[in-house]
Amino acid sequence: MDMDILKEYDVVVVGGGITGAGTARDCAMRGLKVLLVEKYDLTNGATGRNHGLLHSGARYAVTDPESASECIKENMILRKIARHCVDETDGLFITLPEDDLAYQATFVASCRKAGIRADIISPEEARRLEPAVNPSLIGAVRVPDASVDPFRLTTANVIDARRHGADMLTYHEAVGFVVESGCVRGVRLRDNHTGDTFEVRSRMVVNAAGIWGHLVARLAGVTVNMFPAKGTLLVFGHRVNGMVVNRCRRPANADILVPDDTVCVIGTTSDRVSFDTIDHLKATPEEVDVLLREGEKLAPALAKTRILRAYAGVRPLVAADNDPSGRSISRGIVLLDHEMRDGLAGLITITGGKMMTYRMMAQLATDLVCRKLGVDKPCLTAVTPLPGSEKPVAAGHTSRRATEYSTHAQEGRHGTMTRLIDAGSVETRALVCECEDVTVGEVKFAVDKLHVRNLINLRRRTRMGMGTCQGELCACRGANVLCQVARTEPRAAEHDLAAFMAERWKGARPVAWGDTLGEAQLTATIYEGLCGLNRLCGDDKKIAL
Amino acid sequence: MTFDSIIIGGGLAGLTCALTLAKAGQRTALVTAGQSTLHFHSGSIDLLGYDEQGRTVLHPLDAIPALGASHPYHKVADVGALAEEAAGLLASAGLPMDGTAARNHFRLTPMGVGKPTWLTLQGLVQSTEEQTLPWREVTFANIRGFLDIPTEFLVDNIRRMGTDVEVKHFTTPELEQARRSPSEMRATNVAKVLADETSLRRVVEAIDALGADGEVVLLPAVLGMADARTESSLRQLVERPVRFVATMPPSVPGVRLQSRLRQTYQQLGGMFCASDTVTGGCFEAGRLRYVTIGNMPDERLYADHFVLATGSFQSRGLMSNYHGVFEPVFGLDVDAAGDRRAWTAEYVYDAQPYMRFGVRTDERLLTCRGGARIDNLYAAGSVLSGHDALKLADGSGVDMLTALQVAHNILEK
Repeated sequence: MDMDILKEYDVVVVGGGITGAGTARDCAMRGLKVLLVEKYDLTNGATGRNHGLLHSGARYAVTDPESASECIKENMILRKIARHCVDETDGLFITLPEDDLAYQATFVASCRKAGIRADIISPEEARRLEPAVNPSLIGAVRVPDASVDPFRLTTANVIDARRHGADMLTYHEAVGFVVESGCVRGVRLRDNHTGDTFEVRSRMVVNAAGIWGHLVARLAGVTVNMFPAKGTLLVFGHRVNGMVVNRCRRPANADILVPDDTVCVIGTTSDRVSFDTIDHLKATPEEVDVLLREGEKLAPALAKTRILRAYAGVRPLVAADNDPSGRSISRGIVLLDHEMRDGLAGLITITGGKMMTYRMMAQLATDLVCRKLGVDKPCLTAVTPLPGSEKPVAAGHTSRRATEYSTHAQEGRHGTMTRLIDAGSVETRALVCECEDVTVGEVKFAVDKLHVRNLINLRRRTRMGMGTCQGELCACRGANVLCQVARTEPRAAEHDLAAFMAERWKGARPVAWGDTLGEAQLTATIYEGLCGLNRLCGDDKKIAL
Repeated sequence: MTFDSIIIGGGLAGLTCALTLAKAGQRTALVTAGQSTLHFHSGSIDLLGYDEQGRTVLHPLDAIPALGASHPYHKVADVGALAEEAAGLLASAGLPMDGTAARNHFRLTPMGVGKPTWLTLQGLVQSTEEQTLPWREVTFANIRGFLDIPTEFLVDNIRRMGTDVEVKHFTTPELEQARRSPSEMRATNVAKVLADETSLRRVVEAIDALGADGEVVLLPAVLGMADARTESSLRQLVERPVRFVATMPPSVPGVRLQSRLRQTYQQLGGMFCASDTVTGGCFEAGRLRYVTIGNMPDERLYADHFVLATGSFQSRGLMSNYHGVFEPVFGLDVDAAGDRRAWTAEYVYDAQPYMRFGVRTDERLLTCRGGARIDNLYAAGSVLSGHDALKLADGSGVDMLTALQVAHNILEK
C-alpha cells in the first residue's frame, strides 16, 4: 500500500512496533501531521516476538513495584480500548513443591500494594480452574493476567493513526537525519525494496525503534546505551492451557505459559547478545532445553505436546542515563529529550518499557512532542477504543453452520472490522488456511486495509500459516490468492513463498524431532518433491539466511 | 493365522511387494494404518531425476551405478529388469503409464516446473524436454473456486517455457453445490462429486462451451480416484484434446494408484488389514515368528517372511524424539546421526541429513536388531536408509524396485 507522502510533517516516528504505532496514533489524534516509518514489516521486532502476555503486573510486584502498577493500570485500559486483541483468561501464580511457599505471602502483599487483585486459592481450586496445571502444586494465586495479540494491537493502532490523517511507509529505513544548525529537521529514508533514498522533512523525530533505537540515535550523533537481551520462546501445537500459568517465585527463565489463540507459548530465556545478531536471531538447542525442562513443570502435558516452533526476540534494555558502564539497567520506560540531554533539538527517544505499557510510553512521548511544538491537546488514547473494539462483537454464536466458523475466527481477529470482510459470495468464503479459518475475503481485506504485500505480512495480520500445519497447504494457496489480489508478479510471489517456507523452517528446526520433524518432511515432500519450488528459487538461500 | 508373507505398510512399496508375492501364489497379508504418501503423489514414478550434484539425469539406468555406495539401488540385482517388471505390474493393475527407464521424460508440477521422471500416468501432462512443452498454445481450464492448483505460478511458468496459455474457468451445478461448504473444494472431494456420469457430462459440456483456443485443454487432475475410466471418458467426450496437471494434495492420481494396486492385490486373494497397526512381534533365534495387530489383539499372525514398508518420518515408519531416531514397530537398527544438531540443515532447501536416515539393511535388504540380522524380516521403500529422495527424485523408484527385489529374495529362498 504505497501512498503519497507530504514534503513536511510535524512528526516522523521511526519504528513500526507497538510503541511507534501507538505514538503515531497519539500524535495523529492530537492533530499533528505524522509519518510512521518502519524498515521492514510492522511488528518485525520485539513486538512480534514475545509471549503475547497482558501482564497484570503481578510478575513485577515484588521486584519492581513501579512497573507493576504501570502494568495493572494499562491492563485495565487495554481490556477496554483493545478488547478484540485481548483474551481475558486470568492467570495463576503456582507454587511447586520445590518452591518456597512463604514467597506467596510476600507476593500477594506486593500485588495488593500495587493495586493488583490477587486471590489465594487452594490447589484443588487451581486444578479445577486450569486442568492443565501441574497437579503437584502446593499453592496458587489468581491474578488478572490475560493474553493479547500484539500483531492485532499494532495494526489497530496503525489503522487509527491513519484514520486521523497519519501516513505510513513500511520497508522504509531511516538511514540518516536532516540536521540544520544543530537541530533535527527530518530523516533520510531508504526504500528497502528498491534501494532508493530520499529525505522527508519534519519538525520533530521520535525514535521508537526498540533495540534498533540504539543505532537510530547513533545516526543522529547521540548515544543511547542499550543492551540487547535475547528472549527465546516455544510455541506448542495446541492450546494446552486456558489461563496464563506463572511460577510464584522471583522472575526466572521459562516460567510463563500463555494461551494465545489456538496455541500456547512458553518463555522466556534471557541473555545479553551483541548488536550484530539482532537482525538474525536464532534459538539455540540450549535455550530449547531450558524452556522444555521448565515448561513441563508448569503444565506436564507439554511433554507430550507437539512443539510447532521456537522464536526469539530482543528486549531493549537501557542503561540508566549517563551511566556508560551499563551497570544500572532499567526495564522501565525511558524517555530521552535529546535537546536537553545532548543539545540536539528536534529528536526524542522513547524506549525501554514493555509491549504492555506501549500506550503509556506513546503518551509520554507525545506529551513531550506537543510541548516542543506548542500544541495543547489532551491525550485521549486511554478512553478511545481502537478500530475493531468500538463495541463487543455479537457474543454467544448459536449457529453451527460450517460456513460461519470462519466468521467467528475473524471476529476474534478483527473485532468489529470483520464487517469489512467480504463474505458475500462462495469465492470470498473459500478457505485459504484451514487451521486458522482464513478465507479469500479475509486475504483481500488484509491487502486492502492491513498493509499486506507478502506472505509474512499476511501471516502476522491473519494468523495464516501459524497453526498446526505451519503453512503446509495454505502457504501455496495464500501465495496465489495474494498474487491475484495484490497483483504481484508470479516470479516474485514464488520467491516470497520460498522465503515464507524458509522462515517457517527456521522456527521448526530447533525443535525438529517427533511430529515436528515428520511434518517438516511432509512439507518438503510437497513443495520440493511434488512442486519443485526449490528449482524456481535456487538462489534464495543467501536471502533467507 | 499363518501366511507365507506379511507386509507391513500399504504405500507404494508395501502394495508392490504384496501384489508381487500374491501373484506368485503366496498366501499374504498386508497391514496398513491408512493414508500413505501416495496421497501426496504426482502421478509419476521417478526412477532417478537428479544426480548427487543436482544435475538433471536424462538416462537413469546409466547414472544409477555412479550413485553413492549407500544407495538402496545397489541392493537391487538388475535395475533394468526390475524397472520393466514394475511397469508391467502397474499396467496389469489398470494403471497404464508412459515412459521408459532408458530415458527420463518430464512431468509438469502443479507450479509449472518440469521435473525428470520415469513413468507417468497416461493423461497427465508430460514432455520430452525439461524446459519446453509440446504445444504452442494451451488452454488451462480451472474449476471456479478451486484453489489447490497454484494457477498464477503454473501459467507463468508454462509461458516461460514458450507456450502461450489461455486461462478459463468453468463450473457445473454439482460443483457449485459442493462449493457451498468452504472446505469442500479439495481435489479428492471434487473427484467424488464428479464420479457419476451425469456430473461428468455436465463438465464436458462446460468445457466445450469455453470455446478454448489452445491445442490442448489442461485440467487439474481431479478425476477418477478408483480408476482411469472417468478421466479417459472425459478425454473422449471433450472436443479438444485434454491433459491433466497434478494438483496440490490430496492427490487424485495418487489415490488411484493406491486403490488400483490394492484392488488387484485383493482380487488375487491377498488379505488386506486396513486401519490396523502391528503392535508387536515375537523374535526367536534370529527370526520374526509372528506379529500381533491392533484390531485382533488375541490373534498371532505367523509367517515365513515379513516385510517392513512403513515409510519415513512423515509416514511414521521412522520416528524420533528428543533423544534419537528409532524404528517404532520392532525397534530395528537404524542409520541416523546421534546428535540432534546433525539431523537438519539451516536452509530449508539444502539437503537435509534426516532424509537419508532409515532402517539399516544388509545386501539382501534384511534388517537387524541389536546388531544381529533378522533372517526373515526385510525392509523396502522409504523406510530404508541411504538416499535423499527429495534431492535425487528417486522416491517412488526406490519404493517399487526395492519392494520387487525383496519379493524376489523371498521367492528365491
